[in-house]
Amino acid sequence: MTSLSRITILTKPEVQTSVQVYCLQCRDAACERVCPVDAISRDRNGAYVINYDRCIGCRECAYACPFGAISFEVEARPIKCDLCDGEPECVAVCPHDAIVYMEEKKAARELKKAKAAGVAYGLYGGKETPEYSRKKAEEAVEYLMELVEKSGELDV
Amino acid sequence: MSTPSRPNTGSVLIIDLTREKVVKRKVLSETVKRYLGGRGFNSKALFDMIPGRIDPLSPENVLALGNGTFAGTALPMTSRLHISTLSPLSGILGDGNAGGEFSAMLKFAGYEQVIVTGRAEKPKYVFIEDDEVEIRDAEELWGLTTGETVDWLRDEHGDEVSVAGIGPAGENLVRFATTMVDKYHSGARGSGAVWGSKNLKAIAVIGTKGVEPADPERFYGLAKEDIDYFNRNEFVRRIYSVIGTHYGLIQWYPSWRYFQVPLSAEELPIGLRPQDLAEYEVGRTQCFSCPLACKDVYYLPSTGEYGTASEFESIYALGSNNCVTDTEAVLRMEHMADEYGMDVMTLGDTIALARLLHEKGILSRGDVKGVSLEWGDAEEQIELIEMTAYRKGFWDKLAEGYRNFAKLYGEDALAYCYDVKGVNRGWYEVDFINGVFTLSHATSTRGADHLRGRSWAYWENDKLIDIEVVRGMLEAGLPDYRKDPVGALIYGERACTLADSLGRCKGSINSWLQAVPLVWKYPVFKGTAMLLTAFTGIEFTEKDVIDATDRIYLTEMAFNVRQGIKKKHYDVKFPPEFAATERAKAQLKRHWELVDEYLERRGCDVETAYPRRETLEGLDIGYVADQIGGKEFPEWDGPVRGVA
Ligand code: SF4
Ligand code: SF4
Repeated sequence: MTSLSRITILTKPEVQTSVQVYCLQCRDAACERVCPVDAISRDRNGAYVINYDRCIGCRECAYACPFGAISFEVEARPIKCDLCDGEPECVAVCPHDAIVYMEEKKAARELKKAKAAGVAYGLYGGKETPEYSRKKAEEAVEYLMELVEKSGELDV
Repeated sequence: MSTPSRPNTGSVLIIDLTREKVVKRKVLSETVKRYLGGRGFNSKALFDMIPGRIDPLSPENVLALGNGTFAGTALPMTSRLHISTLSPLSGILGDGNAGGEFSAMLKFAGYEQVIVTGRAEKPKYVFIEDDEVEIRDAEELWGLTTGETVDWLRDEHGDEVSVAGIGPAGENLVRFATTMVDKYHSGARGSGAVWGSKNLKAIAVIGTKGVEPADPERFYGLAKEDIDYFNRNEFVRRIYSVIGTHYGLIQWYPSWRYFQVPLSAEELPIGLRPQDLAEYEVGRTQCFSCPLACKDVYYLPSTGEYGTASEFESIYALGSNNCVTDTEAVLRMEHMADEYGMDVMTLGDTIALARLLHEKGILSRGDVKGVSLEWGDAEEQIELIEMTAYRKGFWDKLAEGYRNFAKLYGEDALAYCYDVKGVNRGWYEVDFINGVFTLSHATSTRGADHLRGRSWAYWENDKLIDIEVVRGMLEAGLPDYRKDPVGALIYGERACTLADSLGRCKGSINSWLQAVPLVWKYPVFKGTAMLLTAFTGIEFTEKDVIDATDRIYLTEMAFNVRQGIKKKHYDVKFPPEFAATERAKAQLKRHWELVDEYLERRGCDVETAYPRRETLEGLDIGYVADQIGGKEFPEWDGPVRGVA
């Protein structure tokens, strides 16, 4: 089964860095409020989903979304993230665990922990921490030295 | 009878700048089967279009950009662009491989290859948007750095545009100017000067068409297996994606003070260790379709600039080999080289050579007015890089590049020039790694090189990434370099030819695992054959794959034969002090024995090093034999100037 992507990658070319834009499933969603025919509602996973039988294609939701998370670009109907019915495909394929799917309270706790550990949020998070990058590189070098030691195995 | 190719293969775009004419040609499936794509297509085009010795900076030279069979697909790491030309640095085949997005974009626009010939009267750039191809004025762009060029083109054509082009060094015909892709990805060996000589600043491309494998289910199934492999691999997650090619600083003995001391991990100076460099890192980035992300994004507090991909090569060549250990200075130099569009290795090695010749008194004070050439002077080196890019004063000579530069100072200077066929790569004892190391520099079809087969021949990095893979390859018949160095090297060369032709990354840390898709599961080229069949709809066996790589390699050798390459040019250089020793003489003897064996097993004449007719006919390229058979070619001595 193939379907249209609901994530847009925005690239900030001068620094070769990208951010993903996708629906945040807002608590009080603008898209839901503006829809004149009540085609947008929350499903059991908390995702806002569009009922295409009701949708009249007015684009109001796309204009209303403050994050640009609803697109009309590829089809003449709104396309947005529906959390893949509780098993998001993007989370499954992301090789670097950059996207995780978890319960809201747990997510808040994780975020707090990461901040305390000094995790860099990259260019968009504002604060770059040289100490954090250095530490990660030191760990990599240490692991590499271990591997080098062990690689005598093949006698090369 | 040839049939037109499937929709997975686009066409070739031929741009004649003299006549401002654009022609499109379909790629036949037969050509795909015989030359795969990328480097294979390029090398064939160069052989067919450059009949003999010409000045690489004349309009007759050809610039070929090939994107590789699998570009733009989900098969990981397959969007490297191959750039080939007659090199103004060496005067033989000069090709390079650059990452970024260009290769995928070109494929999405419907092309396999772009061939540029002639010379425009005024600066031009080419804009490609799917079927539309326009040659446009670039007077406003001339003089801009690579970063400014890309920004200008993005303003003009939108952010999606991907750009290959040159900076000021290419315009000023610096002989080691590179083709730069999307600001930060560089393809070497002087191709930048060829763009400059053609008055071509850049090619900008937007592609919106998809790529459709002949058997999508099969192809994507195999591709997914390969992605999953890398995502699960510990080495990738814990080392590769964290320090990228800085791995080499620990593993590859970066050289100190013009190749005088190879530095072990313990000897690495503070300032040039991976952890020191990491302090400048603010993010990581990668080429299209790569799950590894070997490239760092760094921030330079002193200038407020961002740069990308501070690789091992730039750190050793601009840093340790010149005794510069100031982290930020080295990163800044790397970034300047990207912005001006110069190859960091030739740049750094040539500066180090100049320092040495100065120290030895071969370069006199008068030659280098106003410059101290002290080892380790970072500030001065930053100035030198700029002067070289603009060919100012004495640095005009440095811009000639490594061997051409040494040649200006006669035999004394050439004695310290560690090149093969005009390309620098330091010096190594033949005894090292059973002769493979030096042999691989000698047999590379683009001059001394570490990306033509070397590391692959002795599993330099694979044994750390996944030792089981090495075992599997040996079981599947890969020669063991400890018993059969020549056989191992030929296999290594095949792997690299294959990677460059498929568009696959050879792995910025040089590994079989990256260069050859699915090698961890179907050694050695079986997985590739399966992928090629699924993607093109043409039946490929493992033997077809091997034959294609040999066809490409021998075509390249024949190309160089016509540029005057003889057996004697398979030599390797030692510093004069070492060359005089018995040890060195014994080692050279061994080197030449290996060369003979190599030529024999490659199907070349052992006396002349020309590919033999039977070999070429056996690969179904008898026409190549017609071109070189029974002909005399004047001996190579660097690039030809003016009309030959
Ligand atoms: S589309 Fe926009 S407004 Fe609607 S739920 Fe998502 S983020 Fe909120
Ligand atoms: S490993 Fe590095 S060079 Fe190779 S494709 Fe990935 S990002 Fe590009």
